[in-house]
Amino acid sequence: MIRFIFSRLLDSLVAIWGAVTIVFFVTRVLGDPAALLLPVGTPPEQLAAFRAQLGLDRPLLVQYGDFLLRCLQGDFGQSFQHARPAMEVVLERMPATMMLAGTAIVMGVAIGGILGLIAATRRGTVVELIVMVGALIGQATPLFWLGLMLILFFAVDLGWLPTGGYGEARHLVLPALCLSVFVAAAIARLFRSSVLEVLKDEHVRTARAKGLMPSTVLLWHVVRNALIPVVTMVGILTGELLGGSVVTETVFSWPGVGRLIVQAIETRDFPVVQAGISLVAFIFVSITLIVDLLYGILDPRIRRGR
Amino acid sequence: MISTAFFRFARRIASVAGVFCILALPVAAQPLRIALTAPVNSLDPHVSALIQSDLSIASHLYAALITRGPDLALQGDAAESWKAEDDLNWRITLRPDLRFPNGEPLDAEAVKWNIERITAAQTRSRQKIYFDPIRTVTIISPTELRLTTSAPYPVLPAQLTTLYLMPPKWTAEGKAATDALGTGPYTLRSFTPGDRIVLAARPGYHGPRPNFEDVEVRMIAEPSVRAAALQAGELDFAVDLAPGDVTRLNASGRVRAGWSDSNRMMSLRFNTTKPPFDNKLLRQAVSHAIDRQAIAKAIFEGHSSIARCQLTSPMYFGFNPSLESTRYDPALAKRLIAASGVRGPIELELEVPLGRYLLSQEIAQVLAAQLEEIGIKVQLREMEFGAWIAKYNGGNLGASVYMGQGWPTLDADGLLGLYAPSNPVAYWKNDAFGAALDRGRASTDETKRREAYAEATRLMCDETPAAFLFTQPLIYATSPRVTWQVRGDDWVRAMDFRRR
Repeated sequence: MIRFIFSRLLDSLVAIWGAVTIVFFVTRVLGDPAALLLPVGTPPEQLAAFRAQLGLDRPLLVQYGDFLLRCLQGDFGQSFQHARPAMEVVLERMPATMMLAGTAIVMGVAIGGILGLIAATRRGTVVELIVMVGALIGQATPLFWLGLMLILFFAVDLGWLPTGGYGEARHLVLPALCLSVFVAAAIARLFRSSVLEVLKDEHVRTARAKGLMPSTVLLWHVVRNALIPVVTMVGILTGELLGGSVVTETVFSWPGVGRLIVQAIETRDFPVVQAGISLVAFIFVSITLIVDLLYGILDPRIRRGR
Repeated sequence: MISTAFFRFARRIASVAGVFCILALPVAAQPLRIALTAPVNSLDPHVSALIQSDLSIASHLYAALITRGPDLALQGDAAESWKAEDDLNWRITLRPDLRFPNGEPLDAEAVKWNIERITAAQTRSRQKIYFDPIRTVTIISPTELRLTTSAPYPVLPAQLTTLYLMPPKWTAEGKAATDALGTGPYTLRSFTPGDRIVLAARPGYHGPRPNFEDVEVRMIAEPSVRAAALQAGELDFAVDLAPGDVTRLNASGRVRAGWSDSNRMMSLRFNTTKPPFDNKLLRQAVSHAIDRQAIAKAIFEGHSSIARCQLTSPMYFGFNPSLESTRYDPALAKRLIAASGVRGPIELELEVPLGRYLLSQEIAQVLAAQLEEIGIKVQLREMEFGAWIAKYNGGNLGASVYMGQGWPTLDADGLLGLYAPSNPVAYWKNDAFGAALDRGRASTDETKRREAYAEATRLMCDETPAAFLFTQPLIYATSPRVTWQVRGDDWVRAMDFRRR
């Protein structure tokens, strides 16, 4: 087990290094931050002087080496736009992102899980049709449109909730609802097919033959076994949402990491892009690691390496 | 059916609850609620040059020497008066006994320190270029100082409106990016990056007391969400709304939306260093082939002022009132093409930077269609703004671009300087024009300067380095309880609002 964890940790480090390296070079291709930061019409010598102040006049490999060394010390440099440490700028947006992602995942998994189970156990009925069509629509609806519709209905028309912002529980309702529709739709579809798959298994037939209560069979023998793909999916979705859901954050003016990174890309604020992506990569890799370890708990065969 | 009844019931409950909430709040306690379009990145007023976000917020928290009032005239702020002693020396008299809230004096010494900080390389100020011409700062007394520039710099007073004065000792503590301690009309209550800034009127402010005690500034990037927030009664003011929303917002009865001119002139700008548009007659032909009135009417519903054959609008010092708008005359345009000597099919590559200028894609398409009518085939090249500006700054502008240009000092000096022969990205070289600009800059005498810019704008109209089109409209909206003194120079200030 320790060897398993150790090898996975090593993989994770390589993955983070890869992501950070790609981001470093891709941002450099995007263009010149000095040109965007300084007023249009700034003479070239001033632009060059500003680039030198940002340390962008050095050879690319020197910049990269310096960047890696500093990364190891936890220093991602000063943000060009925010005039303070880039990681500080990113980390202060993390609570908002975690709150939104966490709420959306919990709501989405609960709703999606129940709907998926209902659809699987009511196979061939109108209920299944309604749930599956609903899930398909939920997955196909652009979040941008859905967000605006929620705002127009609940904030403008009914006046129940704010159009956006951050700080109180009421601010969280609409963005979390919007994102959870997307999560629930994905989970419902996956869980339904997974449950149907397990229902066909011999051990379920055996359990029924033993005369176990249908609810015991369903919860203990079916749901538990059907959870593995769902856990994978929840892991991926959590990683994605913790990286910030740009569209939802933009529509609901939610001060999350996703919007911050996109703004940093637009303004070529390299240190914030690098700090943001590094953090997101770290979170994603950590969650994947946790999911891998969870498999072992759910399915002892994986733990024993069979 | 049930759901309709349910929502009707819910709406009634909500409106009753809303009435109670309103009754519970005394009118005076209601804050002014403003939306900004761009996020405020740093509260350090020396670092940023973004007027619509960072500097607008700074103007609440810090005093500048000079400020521009809502009538666009310059007025004293921390400075009581200022005057040009000669072309190089400016004498500034400060208000006596000004102090920062921590007790540090706002005197000539502090002003000198601020100028040194904004021009120091390690500050990484985006405004450095504006204050580099100040060669020395001489302290005459605690309230008197002289700024000496290395060359005549007539726009210095206008430029000083973006130099906000920070307390030296407090700034050295290094918290200025997220906190503020200034002598402006407001003090900072809270700053939630990416979300909102809360301000409260500062007792003891040296200027007129603002009309609103409390101000809440929210950062809302999406125009449609700003419109929704106005309709929901969450905002008192927002700018840069979608043109299509104006009628709808006004019809709602809950919002008053309107149009005004911004300080930005939209142009079809040529790269005159590349054939065939190095040919003046061909450029003039393009300019005459554009029906500006039709575009302004169709796309901006007529809420845009047509360019008077110059980059400046009446908002600027140096506007030339004797020039008239370029006449729409396709027949003349065709004759000009014939006279230009350019043979064969003419193609015009038109770059369209995205996400920066109002409805730029739609306008570019109309421009293309209008130019096709005189036989010029237009290739539209839409590109992300960051990628485009890198290309532009790199001297690689295509044959032409649809772009907007404005200058925060509202002075022809900066704006026309974008086309000066000494500017490596002017894409036009005209020495007579350069000489006129130099004359405009060489003196602080307003009459001489006006004459110089009259000559410069006349040359530009004739040479057509760009087909000047129309001002970019400013679309704004207020709640029924406030009025805003409309200003098109990008500043968003709580001080410009009144209760209705």
